[in-house]
Amino acid sequence: MRTWRPILAVAALSLSLAACGSTDTPAETAASAGPWQFTNGNGEVVKADKTPTRIIAHAGEAAALMSFGIKPVGIYADEPVKTDPNLKGLDLTGIEILGEEWGKIDVEKAASLRPDLIVADWWPAEKAHSGLEEGVDEKSKKLKELAPIVGASQGKSILDLAEGYENLAKSLGAKVDAPEIAASKKRFEDALAKFKEATAAKPNLTVLAMSPSDDKVYVANPAYAPELLDFQQWGLKVVNPDTPDPGFPYWENLSWENADKYQPDLILWDGRSYTETANAEWGKKQPTWFAIKAAKAGAVVSWPAYWLHTYGHFATELEKLTTAIKAADENIGS
Amino acid sequence: MRSATVRARRALALGPGLAVLCVILALVAFLSVTLGSRDIGLPEVLRALAGLGGGTAIEDTVTLELRVPRTLLGILVGAALGVAGAILQGVTRNPLADTGIMGVNSGAAACVVLAITVLGVRGVSVYIWFAFAGAILATLLVYAIASLGREGATPVKLALAGAAVTAGMGSLTTGIVMTNVDALNELRFWQVGSLAGRYAPILTGVAPFLIAGLIASLACGRALNGLALGEDVARGLGQRVGLTRAAAFALVAVLAGAATAACGPIVFVGLIVPHLARFICGPDYRWILPYAMLLSPIILLLADVVGRVVAAPGELQVGVVLGVLGAPVFVGIVRYGRLSEA
Repeated sequence: MRTWRPILAVAALSLSLAACGSTDTPAETAASAGPWQFTNGNGEVVKADKTPTRIIAHAGEAAALMSFGIKPVGIYADEPVKTDPNLKGLDLTGIEILGEEWGKIDVEKAASLRPDLIVADWWPAEKAHSGLEEGVDEKSKKLKELAPIVGASQGKSILDLAEGYENLAKSLGAKVDAPEIAASKKRFEDALAKFKEATAAKPNLTVLAMSPSDDKVYVANPAYAPELLDFQQWGLKVVNPDTPDPGFPYWENLSWENADKYQPDLILWDGRSYTETANAEWGKKQPTWFAIKAAKAGAVVSWPAYWLHTYGHFATELEKLTTAIKAADENIGS
Repeated sequence: MRSATVRARRALALGPGLAVLCVILALVAFLSVTLGSRDIGLPEVLRALAGLGGGTAIEDTVTLELRVPRTLLGILVGAALGVAGAILQGVTRNPLADTGIMGVNSGAAACVVLAITVLGVRGVSVYIWFAFAGAILATLLVYAIASLGREGATPVKLALAGAAVTAGMGSLTTGIVMTNVDALNELRFWQVGSLAGRYAPILTGVAPFLIAGLIASLACGRALNGLALGEDVARGLGQRVGLTRAAAFALVAVLAGAATAACGPIVFVGLIVPHLARFICGPDYRWILPYAMLLSPIILLLADVVGRVVAAPGELQVGVVLGVLGAPVFVGIVRYGRLSEA
């Protein structure tokens, strides 16, 4: 079931990209000896005698750490690192790739890196860190035996996540006041101001976060999608589905017969499957997709589903959304 | 003389029995069009069916474009799987034979991922042809491998060849999807058998094959009866065993291949229904085949309706419902029923 969070992002098994060409120990923090401690996403305090330096991190978490200058020794991702929205464009030389498919981690290779810390988001809905959820290979879950695991919580806000990783980076000895970090925060603040302005101008605009698939339509439940909670917080009316799947509350599952259950003015389309032509294709393929008036009117925009970790990425996504909101008609769905 | 009267008496009851099944199938089909995950009142459904709805309302779209093709597909696919299962059990004289064992599902999957990775094709309407081709190729491959050697395609060799080809195709598929994300994503559509998301183009695509296969299969009863007596007896009765077997396999390939291409691997129907039919009709394949042809779609459609109603506003795939309901039934048959030898 859990495979549905990265629904369309399931990826190829680590084809052992064997990035072992470069020299060892890319972890740079010459930080003080310790002792070290960090409050994990689940509220527990994790302690160590020495500040960890050899870190294995999940994709987005690794990108967050790298934005503060901390380079992990290994990364496991849910899809190929070339297409992962967090990792694409980053310089990954010297970092061992331990997995490029959800639920599959090469623990043997991970062990050979002798990690002293594993960094992975905490998912409150599943009460597990990324890479240890239900559905992950039992062999891959042995990752947790290698080192303590910490991560910020995929809780109520992406900002909490971003701050959580800033704090973690700080505790690991990174400088968090570098000018480029301040710059991306500033860019985020500007984007946010414009976003709020756009939503305030359209008080009746409702949006629905969706992910159509061949045999059903998934409607996202904002309660378990921090970025959607943020949008709601900032004035955008993201519709809360009324009967999320009890076993996997990230989504409400609608059969294609019920595709038009909600009539939003703008559709936030799961970014993992969004393309420019997706709306037209689904309209042709599924007789009821265009029963959603917003879909018929082409009012769709990509939604950064479950992957944001940094101010910089959030700023970029907010800018795209602001444009769509400005262009949207707040009376389509009514 | 005595057996002749028994047979006559049996035929007397079995004929009307088929008529009763036809009525039940019609009722189930009606349920399948009127019940669903979307709540549509009976008057709206009837109006849509009568073409009075104007064709624009969502109720009309759901009834005519979703439920009607789905129901027709369910009837054809169900019938095809039941008949294919019955023929396979007869021709291999293996009461546990079903289309999955003969490499049909794995062949379809392998061919789809090959088409995605090697030819770069996209779109469900294209995949079904590759799935169909793959299913037929796999079945023919099983038959060809089993035919090697002097005594031809014996039941044991068929079972072994089926297992070998299934394993081979399976590893080919796994090998490809592990290195190709797109192939894996697209393959998900086939991993659980389902009638959802299949509309008119898929129905009209596979219907000719299924209908032709079903009609042809009704002519095999006599030959299967001969094979059921054992090869030597069949040969003694003047049957050309090799030819019969080859023809039966070709039919299975077309029926199961088209069904799997359209809906993915649907379990249990092809395995259980022939046993049910045999339970009702006794060992005569001239009756078993038409009974399987009517019983299977009844069961498949009922399971599909259950899956649509229990999980509203979502749906359960029919493959899942059949798996859940089918396992205990099968245990029951094994435990209490007379699991008659094919």
